[in-house]
Amino acid sequence: MMQWIAFLFFASMTLLSALGVVFLSNIIYVILSLLSTLVMVAGIFFVAGAELVGALQLLIYAVAIAVFYVLVLTAVPWEKALKKDSHYRIEGVLTFPILLAFYLEIILVFLLGVSVSPKGQIREFIQNLGNTQVVGSILFSKYFFAFELVSLVLLVGMIGAVIVGRKEDKTYEDSTS
Amino acid sequence: MKIVPLEAYLILSVLLFGLGVFGMIVRRNLVAILMSTELALNAVNIAFVGADSHLGLLDGQIFALFIIALAAVEAAVGLGIIVAIFRLRKVESSDELTDMGG
Repeated sequence: MMQWIAFLFFASMTLLSALGVVFLSNIIYVILSLLSTLVMVAGIFFVAGAELVGALQLLIYAVAIAVFYVLVLTAVPWEKALKKDSHYRIEGVLTFPILLAFYLEIILVFLLGVSVSPKGQIREFIQNLGNTQVVGSILFSKYFFAFELVSLVLLVGMIGAVIVGRKEDKTYEDSTS
Repeated sequence: MKIVPLEAYLILSVLLFGLGVFGMIVRRNLVAILMSTELALNAVNIAFVGADSHLGLLDGQIFALFIIALAAVEAAVGLGIIVAIFRLRKVESSDELTDMGG
Protein backbone atom coordinates (compact mmCIF):
# COMPACT_ATOMS: atom_id res chain seq x y z
CA MET A 1 0.00 0.00 0.00
CA MET A 2 2.76 2.38 0.97
CA GLN A 3 4.51 1.46 -2.26
CA TRP A 4 1.44 2.41 -4.26
CA ILE A 5 1.21 5.79 -2.56
CA ALA A 6 4.87 6.51 -3.24
CA PHE A 7 4.60 5.34 -6.83
CA LEU A 8 1.53 7.46 -7.51
CA PHE A 9 3.17 10.49 -5.94
CA PHE A 10 6.34 10.10 -7.98
CA ALA A 11 4.43 9.35 -11.17
CA SER A 12 2.11 12.34 -10.88
CA MET A 13 5.01 14.66 -10.06
CA THR A 14 6.97 13.27 -13.02
CA LEU A 15 4.11 13.95 -15.39
CA LEU A 16 3.45 17.42 -13.97
CA SER A 17 7.11 18.39 -14.33
CA ALA A 18 7.22 16.92 -17.84
CA LEU A 19 4.22 19.07 -18.75
CA GLY A 20 6.23 22.01 -17.47
CA VAL A 21 9.18 21.03 -19.67
CA VAL A 22 6.99 20.88 -22.74
CA PHE A 23 4.76 23.90 -22.20
CA LEU A 24 6.61 26.58 -20.22
CA SER A 25 8.04 29.41 -22.27
CA ASN A 26 10.82 30.75 -20.04
CA ILE A 27 13.83 28.51 -20.55
CA ILE A 28 14.93 28.80 -16.91
CA TYR A 29 11.60 27.39 -15.74
CA VAL A 30 11.95 24.66 -18.36
CA ILE A 31 15.32 23.60 -17.00
CA LEU A 32 14.03 23.64 -13.42
CA SER A 33 11.10 21.42 -14.30
CA LEU A 34 13.46 19.09 -16.20
CA LEU A 35 15.49 18.81 -12.99
CA SER A 36 12.32 18.04 -11.05
CA THR A 37 11.41 15.34 -13.59
CA LEU A 38 14.81 13.69 -13.29
CA VAL A 39 14.68 13.62 -9.48
CA MET A 40 11.17 12.15 -9.55
CA VAL A 41 12.20 9.46 -12.05
CA ALA A 42 14.98 8.55 -9.60
CA GLY A 43 12.24 8.14 -6.99
CA ILE A 44 10.40 5.73 -9.29
CA PHE A 45 13.61 3.72 -9.66
CA PHE A 46 13.88 3.52 -5.87
CA VAL A 47 10.29 2.30 -5.65
CA ALA A 48 11.07 -0.39 -8.24
CA GLY A 49 14.01 -1.58 -6.14
CA ALA A 50 16.75 -0.43 -8.51
CA GLU A 51 18.87 1.42 -5.99
CA LEU A 52 22.02 1.62 -8.12
CA VAL A 53 20.21 3.00 -11.16
CA GLY A 54 18.35 5.48 -8.98
CA ALA A 55 21.54 6.71 -7.35
CA LEU A 56 23.28 7.04 -10.70
CA GLN A 57 20.24 8.83 -12.06
CA LEU A 58 20.59 11.38 -9.27
CA LEU A 59 24.36 11.65 -9.72
CA ILE A 60 24.72 11.69 -13.50
CA TYR A 61 21.40 12.99 -14.76
CA ALA A 62 20.24 15.36 -12.06
CA VAL A 63 23.70 16.80 -11.43
CA ALA A 64 26.02 16.42 -14.41
CA ILE A 65 23.63 16.69 -17.33
CA ALA A 66 21.53 19.42 -15.71
CA VAL A 67 24.72 21.42 -15.13
CA PHE A 68 25.58 20.91 -18.82
CA TYR A 69 22.30 22.54 -19.79
CA VAL A 70 22.69 25.44 -17.38
CA LEU A 71 26.23 26.03 -18.67
CA VAL A 72 25.04 26.16 -22.27
CA LEU A 73 22.24 28.54 -21.32
CA THR A 74 24.86 30.89 -19.91
CA ALA A 75 26.93 30.58 -23.10
CA VAL A 76 23.98 31.19 -25.42
CA PRO A 77 22.31 34.52 -24.68
CA TRP A 78 18.68 34.11 -25.63
CA GLU A 79 16.62 37.08 -26.68
CA LYS A 80 14.72 37.64 -23.46
CA ALA A 81 17.92 37.96 -21.46
CA LEU A 82 19.19 40.54 -23.89
CA LYS A 83 16.00 42.58 -23.70
CA LYS A 84 15.75 42.54 -19.92
CA ASP A 85 18.02 45.20 -18.48
CA SER A 86 17.68 44.30 -14.81
CA HIS A 87 20.17 41.92 -13.29
CA TYR A 88 17.54 39.44 -12.12
CA ARG A 89 17.23 40.75 -8.57
CA ILE A 90 13.56 39.92 -8.26
CA GLU A 91 14.10 36.58 -9.92
CA GLY A 92 16.88 35.79 -7.49
CA VAL A 93 14.57 36.42 -4.55
CA LEU A 94 11.78 34.45 -6.17
CA THR A 95 14.13 31.51 -6.71
CA PHE A 96 14.43 30.86 -3.00
CA PRO A 97 11.10 29.05 -2.45
CA ILE A 98 11.73 27.03 -5.61
CA LEU A 99 15.13 26.04 -4.24
CA LEU A 100 13.50 25.08 -0.95
CA ALA A 101 10.97 23.01 -2.84
CA PHE A 102 13.80 21.20 -4.62
CA TYR A 103 15.52 20.35 -1.36
CA LEU A 104 12.21 19.04 -0.04
CA GLU A 105 11.85 16.99 -3.22
CA ILE A 106 15.24 15.36 -2.78
CA ILE A 107 14.57 14.64 0.88
CA LEU A 108 11.20 13.14 0.00
CA VAL A 109 12.76 10.98 -2.69
CA PHE A 110 15.32 9.64 -0.27
CA LEU A 111 12.94 8.99 2.61
CA LEU A 112 10.10 7.53 0.58
CA GLY A 113 12.38 5.51 -1.66
CA VAL A 114 14.42 4.03 1.15
CA SER A 115 11.42 3.20 3.30
CA VAL A 116 9.42 1.73 0.44
CA SER A 117 12.07 -0.10 -1.58
CA PRO A 118 11.43 -3.85 -1.67
CA LYS A 119 14.99 -4.69 -0.68
CA GLY A 120 14.16 -2.55 2.31
CA GLN A 121 16.32 -1.06 4.99
CA ILE A 122 19.38 0.95 4.13
CA ARG A 123 21.35 -0.83 6.86
CA GLU A 124 20.96 -4.12 5.11
CA PHE A 125 21.83 -2.40 1.84
CA ILE A 126 25.13 -1.24 3.24
CA GLN A 127 25.90 -4.55 4.94
CA ASN A 128 25.69 -6.91 2.01
CA LEU A 129 25.47 -4.42 -0.90
CA GLY A 130 22.37 -6.15 -2.29
CA ASN A 131 21.37 -4.56 -5.57
CA THR A 132 24.66 -2.86 -6.35
CA GLN A 133 26.70 -6.02 -5.90
CA VAL A 134 24.42 -8.10 -8.10
CA VAL A 135 24.25 -5.46 -10.83
CA GLY A 136 28.03 -5.09 -10.73
CA SER A 137 28.67 -8.80 -11.01
CA ILE A 138 26.38 -9.09 -14.05
CA LEU A 139 27.75 -5.89 -15.57
CA PHE A 140 31.33 -7.12 -15.42
CA SER A 141 30.68 -10.65 -16.62
CA LYS A 142 27.75 -10.93 -19.01
CA TYR A 143 27.78 -7.38 -20.32
CA PHE A 144 31.48 -6.62 -20.09
CA PHE A 145 31.93 -6.08 -23.83
CA ALA A 146 28.97 -3.69 -23.96
CA PHE A 147 30.41 -1.88 -20.95
CA GLU A 148 33.72 -1.35 -22.74
CA LEU A 149 31.86 -0.29 -25.86
CA VAL A 150 29.98 2.36 -23.87
CA SER A 151 33.28 3.69 -22.54
CA LEU A 152 34.54 3.88 -26.13
CA VAL A 153 31.39 5.78 -27.14
CA LEU A 154 31.98 8.19 -24.26
CA LEU A 155 35.54 8.80 -25.48
CA VAL A 156 34.40 9.39 -29.07
CA GLY A 157 31.65 11.70 -27.85
CA MET A 158 34.15 13.69 -25.80
CA ILE A 159 36.47 14.09 -28.79
CA GLY A 160 33.52 15.05 -31.00
CA ALA A 161 32.28 17.65 -28.53
CA VAL A 162 35.75 19.20 -28.35
CA ILE A 163 36.06 19.31 -32.15
CA VAL A 164 32.57 20.74 -32.66
CA GLY A 165 32.95 23.32 -29.92
CA ARG A 166 36.42 24.61 -30.70
CA LYS A 167 37.05 28.02 -32.18
CA GLU A 168 37.03 28.01 -35.95
CA ASP A 169 39.51 29.97 -38.05
CA LYS A 170 36.83 31.15 -40.44
CA THR A 171 33.10 31.34 -39.88
CA TYR A 172 30.23 30.21 -42.05
CA GLU A 173 29.67 33.69 -43.45
CA ASP A 174 33.32 33.92 -44.51
CA SER A 175 33.16 30.68 -46.47
CA THR A 176 29.88 31.53 -48.23
CA SER A 177 30.64 35.13 -49.17
CA MET B 1 7.12 -7.43 -3.46
CA LYS B 2 5.21 -6.74 -6.64
CA ILE B 3 2.65 -4.32 -5.30
CA VAL B 4 3.00 -1.92 -8.18
CA PRO B 5 1.95 -3.78 -11.34
CA LEU B 6 3.86 -3.70 -14.58
CA GLU B 7 1.03 -1.84 -16.30
CA ALA B 8 1.49 1.20 -14.07
CA TYR B 9 5.14 1.51 -15.08
CA LEU B 10 4.28 1.05 -18.73
CA ILE B 11 1.45 3.61 -18.68
CA LEU B 12 3.73 6.15 -17.01
CA SER B 13 6.46 5.37 -19.54
CA VAL B 14 4.10 5.82 -22.47
CA LEU B 15 2.79 9.14 -21.15
CA LEU B 16 6.30 10.47 -20.52
CA PHE B 17 7.55 9.30 -23.91
CA GLY B 18 4.57 10.94 -25.60
CA LEU B 19 5.28 14.19 -23.82
CA GLY B 20 8.91 14.00 -24.91
CA VAL B 21 8.05 13.43 -28.55
CA PHE B 22 5.42 16.17 -28.40
CA GLY B 23 8.02 18.54 -26.99
CA MET B 24 10.52 17.63 -29.70
CA ILE B 25 7.93 18.57 -32.32
CA VAL B 26 6.41 21.65 -30.71
CA ARG B 27 9.37 23.48 -29.22
CA ARG B 28 11.33 25.99 -31.29
CA ASN B 29 14.22 26.52 -28.90
CA LEU B 30 17.07 24.10 -29.67
CA VAL B 31 17.96 23.56 -26.00
CA ALA B 32 14.33 22.79 -25.18
CA ILE B 33 14.27 20.21 -27.98
CA LEU B 34 17.26 18.45 -26.40
CA MET B 35 15.53 18.54 -23.02
CA SER B 36 12.46 16.87 -24.53
CA THR B 37 14.79 14.16 -25.80
CA GLU B 38 15.91 13.61 -22.23
CA LEU B 39 12.26 13.10 -21.25
CA ALA B 40 11.91 10.36 -23.87
CA LEU B 41 15.11 8.64 -22.70
CA ASN B 42 13.86 8.70 -19.12
CA ALA B 43 10.59 7.13 -20.23
CA VAL B 44 12.51 4.23 -21.75
CA ASN B 45 14.48 3.85 -18.53
CA ILE B 46 11.26 3.66 -16.51
CA ALA B 47 9.98 0.92 -18.80
CA PHE B 48 13.23 -1.07 -18.41
CA VAL B 49 13.34 -0.81 -14.63
CA GLY B 50 9.62 -1.48 -14.22
CA ALA B 51 9.84 -4.63 -16.31
CA ASP B 52 12.86 -5.65 -14.25
CA SER B 53 11.05 -5.38 -10.95
CA HIS B 54 8.14 -7.32 -12.43
CA LEU B 55 10.25 -10.15 -13.84
CA GLY B 56 12.83 -10.27 -11.07
CA LEU B 57 15.70 -9.82 -13.52
CA LEU B 58 18.55 -7.32 -13.51
CA ASP B 59 19.39 -6.98 -17.20
CA GLY B 60 17.07 -4.05 -17.72
CA GLN B 61 18.80 -2.06 -15.01
CA ILE B 62 22.10 -2.56 -16.84
CA PHE B 63 20.53 -1.28 -20.03
CA ALA B 64 19.20 1.68 -18.07
CA LEU B 65 22.76 2.42 -16.95
CA PHE B 66 23.94 2.28 -20.56
CA ILE B 67 21.14 4.65 -21.56
CA ILE B 68 22.20 7.10 -18.84
CA ALA B 69 25.79 7.03 -20.14
CA LEU B 70 24.67 7.51 -23.73
CA ALA B 71 22.40 10.38 -22.67
CA ALA B 72 25.47 12.08 -21.23
CA VAL B 73 27.23 11.70 -24.59
CA GLU B 74 24.17 12.95 -26.42
CA ALA B 75 23.90 16.00 -24.19
CA ALA B 76 27.60 16.84 -24.62
CA VAL B 77 27.62 16.54 -28.41
CA GLY B 78 24.19 18.12 -28.88
CA LEU B 79 24.95 21.10 -26.70
CA GLY B 80 28.32 21.51 -28.42
CA ILE B 81 26.52 21.63 -31.74
CA ILE B 82 24.06 24.20 -30.37
CA VAL B 83 26.88 26.42 -29.11
CA ALA B 84 28.63 26.09 -32.48
CA ILE B 85 25.41 26.97 -34.34
CA PHE B 86 24.92 30.02 -32.19
CA ARG B 87 28.51 31.16 -32.56
CA LEU B 88 28.58 30.73 -36.32
CA ARG B 89 25.03 31.72 -37.25
CA LYS B 90 23.73 33.73 -34.24
CA VAL B 91 20.41 31.84 -34.20
CA GLU B 92 18.98 29.69 -31.46
CA SER B 93 15.66 28.61 -32.95
CA SER B 94 15.01 25.58 -35.08
CA ASP B 95 12.84 27.43 -37.61
CA GLU B 96 15.69 29.77 -38.51
CA LEU B 97 17.92 26.88 -39.57
CA THR B 98 16.67 26.39 -43.11
CA ASP B 99 19.86 25.49 -44.96
CA MET B 100 18.89 21.87 -45.44
CA GLY B 101 15.18 22.58 -45.99
CA GLY B 102 13.89 21.61 -49.43
